[in-house]
Amino acid sequence: MNRRDALKTIGVMLGTALTPSLAQAMEAGYVTPAAGEPLRAFTPPQSELVATLAELIIPATDTPGARAARVDAFIDGLLVDIFPYEERQRFLVGLADVDERARAATGKPFLSNAPEKRLALLSALEEESRHAPPGSQPFFPWLKELTLTGYYTSEIGASQELKYVHIAGYYDGDVPYAQVGRAYS
Amino acid sequence: MERPSVHIARPPEVYDAIVVGSGIAGGWAAKELCEKGMKTLVLERGRMVEHRKDYITEHQPPWGFPNRNRLNEDMLAEHFFIQRRTGFLGEENLHFFFKDSDSRYIEEKPFTWVRGRQVGGKSLMWGRYCFRYSDLDFEANAREGVGTDWPIRYADIAPWYSYVEKFAGISGEKLGLPHLPDGEFQKPIPLNVVETELRQRIEKNYPERHLTIARAAVLTEPIGDRLPCHYCGPCWRGCSTGSYFSSQASTLPAATATGNMTLRPDSVVHSVIFDRKKGRATGVRVVDAHTKEMREYHARVVFLCGSTLGSTQVLLNSEIGRTSDELGHNLMDHHFKVGAYGQMDGYDEHYYYGNRPIGFYVPRYRNISAATKMPDFVRGYGIEGDAGRPSWGRGNDIPGFGVELKKKLHDPAPWQVWMTGFGETLPRHENHVTLDPERVDEFGVPLLRIDCSWGPNELNMRKDMASSMAEMLERCGLGNVHSYDDNKPGGIGAEPGLGIHETGTARMGRRPEVSVLNAHNQVWDAPNVFVTDGASLASSPCQNPSITFMALTARAADFAVGEMKRGNL
Repeated sequence: MNRRDALKTIGVMLGTALTPSLAQAMEAGYVTPAAGEPLRAFTPPQSELVATLAELIIPATDTPGARAARVDAFIDGLLVDIFPYEERQRFLVGLADVDERARAATGKPFLSNAPEKRLALLSALEEESRHAPPGSQPFFPWLKELTLTGYYTSEIGASQELKYVHIAGYYDGDVPYAQVGRAYS
Repeated sequence: MERPSVHIARPPEVYDAIVVGSGIAGGWAAKELCEKGMKTLVLERGRMVEHRKDYITEHQPPWGFPNRNRLNEDMLAEHFFIQRRTGFLGEENLHFFFKDSDSRYIEEKPFTWVRGRQVGGKSLMWGRYCFRYSDLDFEANAREGVGTDWPIRYADIAPWYSYVEKFAGISGEKLGLPHLPDGEFQKPIPLNVVETELRQRIEKNYPERHLTIARAAVLTEPIGDRLPCHYCGPCWRGCSTGSYFSSQASTLPAATATGNMTLRPDSVVHSVIFDRKKGRATGVRVVDAHTKEMREYHARVVFLCGSTLGSTQVLLNSEIGRTSDELGHNLMDHHFKVGAYGQMDGYDEHYYYGNRPIGFYVPRYRNISAATKMPDFVRGYGIEGDAGRPSWGRGNDIPGFGVELKKKLHDPAPWQVWMTGFGETLPRHENHVTLDPERVDEFGVPLLRIDCSWGPNELNMRKDMASSMAEMLERCGLGNVHSYDDNKPGGIGAEPGLGIHETGTARMGRRPEVSVLNAHNQVWDAPNVFVTDGASLASSPCQNPSITFMALTARAADFAVGEMKRGNL
């Protein structure tokens, strides 16, 4: 059932015609930039690095991963629209540091490394963040948090990987888990 | 109508009644006064919000918000520095919250004043829980010698509870408890499987404790064109089907239907105009929120329903309400953000369907009988909570990343039960508000100075709340039980105001020397002025207060119109 059909069904179910503005609001989903469209905070190499790191955190499996969900565009939007200037700079510094570390360990920037090497570099970054002194703001947990939020609130993460119930229509406090089979987003 | 020249002062418009505020209390005053034939002017400082049309984020999926419900940090710090403390603000609902930079107040001690900024007030974003007070509550001040005696008892207000409940639509379960009286309920929304199990275990372990689905202004049966809840989840974005009580869905349409209501948004009430010779209010002074032009409106009666501190600010800026030293004093709230949580094992094969708009409630079980008397605090608390299965948000606490993490987050966590108490706050004279002698806001209204803190009774109660809830969950067989208390003395965490159940500061009482209002919410020294919102309360029973605002307002409106007909007003 596509969204337009769903809207009609909901209208029938509620026994009321949806107001035009309501229907518009439901139709007007945010469209993340298509692949290749320029982002606002990131340069193309930066967005590629973010998309790659995010995909390592939430990879494609039988459902698409963070890259397909455009987590890079989500984070780009946060850097421009949401974070204070200092936070934005801190994120970009953290990103550059990923490359620094890659160079120190392998002599090459992160993206020039083979997939298994990238995994090892990110694992090392996570491991190090676990021993970060209290009060410091290590980059990995921050990137992970943003990746999880960006992915699981995207249409892919929320409704393909997890279960999204838009307008339930009723409440049932006990259904077999097997019947749902995945977490609600 | 001809538009008068700006150079000529406009004569005041004259009405039968003026209602200040359009939220839960104001909407009820408007409906009742209009239905009784009064030509009524409703003044609202915020903008117009039209039912359905202006619920601009309703039914948006998470990905429908450009920044997935996050807001610009600098903007929040500059304009919503108080409202943001609630943790509620997002792209989904920012348009319903007061812009703190528009009208500041001064915190002598931390006090979070949460305000709506529109027609409908906080009725658009409220929690919707509705519980009656009982005589255990109305008699408490007199029994303990605290504050002043309520001038009414349960019998005075019970018929008005019934009256407002039938119109508002309250779903819930009758329990037959004397201290949490049953009302006119629609069929209850169900508990989920784990809550049902917890209810049975609580009843087995504690004869005086109960767990029930919250009684709430959420429909399970239609009322007129308002439809039963469709379980979409985020009520606070507005509800096009009118499935929860709001001024927009309920009272204002009723008032409009009479043809007697004039609704003026963007109208900031400055003060009540008082005729000293007659001992009566003539009307109110209003500042246009955009032009800043001041003008007068006259009426035979004035209902102040501008929220607890909003109404009191108007009184303080007027000449009335001064028969005692109590105007501005005895500010109360519910203290909360203290409780416990734990895990219920054995239910991993169970899940639920639908985004239920409410949780469960455990009625007060302290100081309700000789056997439940507590040694170090009076009054008590009710518990709000729910059982659910955490989803992807817990991912940040799970180490690692990649396929393994994604796999773990594919399934929900085991069931968790979460509880927070809402505790009664004693009326204390020292918790008070005054007008700043020098600073005024952009409408020329002196800034409010708020000086309020928790007292020993609240702090002692909090210790019991945390330990008692943790003990209850453990005895009921939950694992991994933890208690918490977010209060940071002198700081932000569970400070007064955050409960958004602020009450008092223009209390009802039996004598003018000890109170601001009489038993009918009439200002003692200005009998054609009524204050029927939270400001009027003489104590702060732990039940969520809005249904009592509704009942007091309907009762006072009935009395006011009766007095007008009898020629007394």
